[in-house]
Amino acid sequence: MKMKKLLGLSVLAILLITACKEDPEPGTINFNITHKVDGQTMELNNMIYMSPAGHPFDVKRLKYYLSNFSLHNTNGTTFDTEVIHYCEEGIDETKSFYIDRIPSGTYDKLSFVYGLDEDTNVDGGLENTLTNINMEWPIPGDQGYHYMKFEGTYDSLSTGVILNYNLHTGATQGNQNFVEITVDLPSDITIDKNTWEVDMVMDMMEWLQNPNVYDFAEFGQAIMMNQTAQEVLKANGVDVWSVEKVVQE
Amino acid sequence: MASSCEDDDPMIIDRPDYDPTPYSLDYPSYLPIMEIPEDNPMTEEGVSLGRMLFYDPILSADSTLSCAGCHKMEYSFTDERQFSVGIDGSVGTRQAMHIVNIGWMPDLFWDGRSQGLEAQALEPVINPIEMMDTWPNVVNKLSNHDDYPDLFWAAFGEDQITKEQVVKAIAQFERTMISGDSRYDLIVERNEGFFTDAELEGFEIFNTERGDCFHCHGGILFTDNLFHNNGLDSVFPDIGLEEVTGDPLDRGLFKTPGLRNIELTAPYMHDGRFETLEEVIDHYSEGLVYSETIDPLMKQIAQGGIQLTDQEKASLLAFLKTLTDTSFINNPAFKNPFED
Ligand code: HEC
Ligand code: HEC
Repeated sequence: MKMKKLLGLSVLAILLITACKEDPEPGTINFNITHKVDGQTMELNNMIYMSPAGHPFDVKRLKYYLSNFSLHNTNGTTFDTEVIHYCEEGIDETKSFYIDRIPSGTYDKLSFVYGLDEDTNVDGGLENTLTNINMEWPIPGDQGYHYMKFEGTYDSLSTGVILNYNLHTGATQGNQNFVEITVDLPSDITIDKNTWEVDMVMDMMEWLQNPNVYDFAEFGQAIMMNQTAQEVLKANGVDVWSVEKVVQE
Repeated sequence: MASSCEDDDPMIIDRPDYDPTPYSLDYPSYLPIMEIPEDNPMTEEGVSLGRMLFYDPILSADSTLSCAGCHKMEYSFTDERQFSVGIDGSVGTRQAMHIVNIGWMPDLFWDGRSQGLEAQALEPVINPIEMMDTWPNVVNKLSNHDDYPDLFWAAFGEDQITKEQVVKAIAQFERTMISGDSRYDLIVERNEGFFTDAELEGFEIFNTERGDCFHCHGGILFTDNLFHNNGLDSVFPDIGLEEVTGDPLDRGLFKTPGLRNIELTAPYMHDGRFETLEEVIDHYSEGLVYSETIDPLMKQIAQGGIQLTDQEKASLLAFLKTLTDTSFINNPAFKNPFED
């Protein structure tokens, strides 16, 4: 039985997108997110892609959290933030965010969590907004939020029947399942009270391959309590992100 | 002369200073933060005026039908008839919607055509199948009324009544129509009491992918406030959201209704096709119909749905009934102020 403890927790509520309303302080990186499928910019609904398991599929929705951003200084230190970012394909404001007050220095890597770590991924761990409520993971016995909702339809080929898939990731049965991601920047960023633009790309095809082929038909539509499916996605999720371009403004 | 007109107008002279009392909207902290539009802060005077307007047939052309004529308190502010009847006897094609926790809903109507309660309330007054009035006429009737000019002054402090003030007052009242005291709230949010075995099984069906209701009717409001095709039809006499967006991908998508007080709000769906919750549950269990825009979250469409056993259906129904909040439908603050 899930009992929410929201009373009093609002103090812990983490500033989400609201942070963007203020002007960034010097030493800023603006991140711009693009979603691709097999190298092409993803288009919701209208494009049919071929999955590595041999099923034509489309994408109808994509929503997820990124958190715990750290910038890696070439001197071996890191600049750690508590930024949590909600992104939804089709809603432009969610496809960019920034980190500011970055200490001067040279940075060559970016790391973050795909999803939420165990401290945030508790019931009531995020601010009580309509967006966060819609990401809740209310499965009895489990906690927190969906890390990702990646949904669409596929043609199962053998039957010609169009079926739905729901790649929902999150914590289940005590397994946290968030993905720790580190990406190299294509060239170093030198922060000195200036502003940089960083173009991040997530290739959705990578969720379905490398190291594991994820077959929609094998796992079916309901995977929230299926730890095997969660493990497969967790392993595939490590390489879904890359940084394509960094430019100083 | 203008000055003599003003002198002749006793109402302007008699008016007290404009000094409204801010309304403090109290609700349990497990409900989300309600955003109040900056240009319509809530006041005691505004809420109380909105309540009168909601119940007053003066807003309809022949002064016979109020908002409450179709949004009836005993049914959690909806109409028990499949289609409501307008003042001239005409009927529409959509079921009236229940009004509960509406202050958290950004898009209103089954097809989401209004954004915000103020904008929404402009429509029924002039809708030819509803109140069939005109705004100039309504404003005129209110301005010549014995009581309303003073009440509008107290709420808004402007010399003239306008339609904007009318809808602002109604919206203020609607934002107070909050439910957070159902058995569900007591048990899950306040740790007071327990579900029966059947309710608990229903809770699990609802909140896992067994029944998978929560992906659309999830969270404390029991709606995602989004639009979906939940598999009712293969062709759409009513195209829903597509009518607003013009996008064929939105064909047959309708707003997810919140499920609070759902036991009280029959009939169900945008066209009121189901008379009982049993029929609704049968729909999700074995009645799904495929169409191109069916939501990717709908499960086992080829089999007609999630295939619940009779016992599971009974449990899901028992759970849905825990969302009934009788204190809401008996709240004196929402009652018809003309019957006090
Ligand atoms: C003749 C019956 C009738 C009258 C009178 C009426 N309504 Fe409605 N109301 C409806 C119907 C039917 C709908 C759904 C219509 C649609 O979606 O196209 C609705 C929808 C609504 C909604 C949207 C709820 C949601 O969840 O999106 C609100 C709010 C509402 N009405 C408030 C009012 C107010 C305020 C008045 C008075 C100014 C009023 N109604 C008068 C029948 C009526
Ligand atoms: C894909 C999203 C989705 C899922 C999943 C879903 N619903 Fe719905 N539900 C809707 C939408 C959208 C409507 C309104 C449809 C219409 O009127 O055309 C609706 C309508 C309803 C209604 C009628 C509400 C009213 O005011 O008329 C009930 C009751 C309901 N759903 C219960 C459930 C239950 C129980 C489940 C799980 C077995 C469920 N729903 C799963 C989206 C969903």
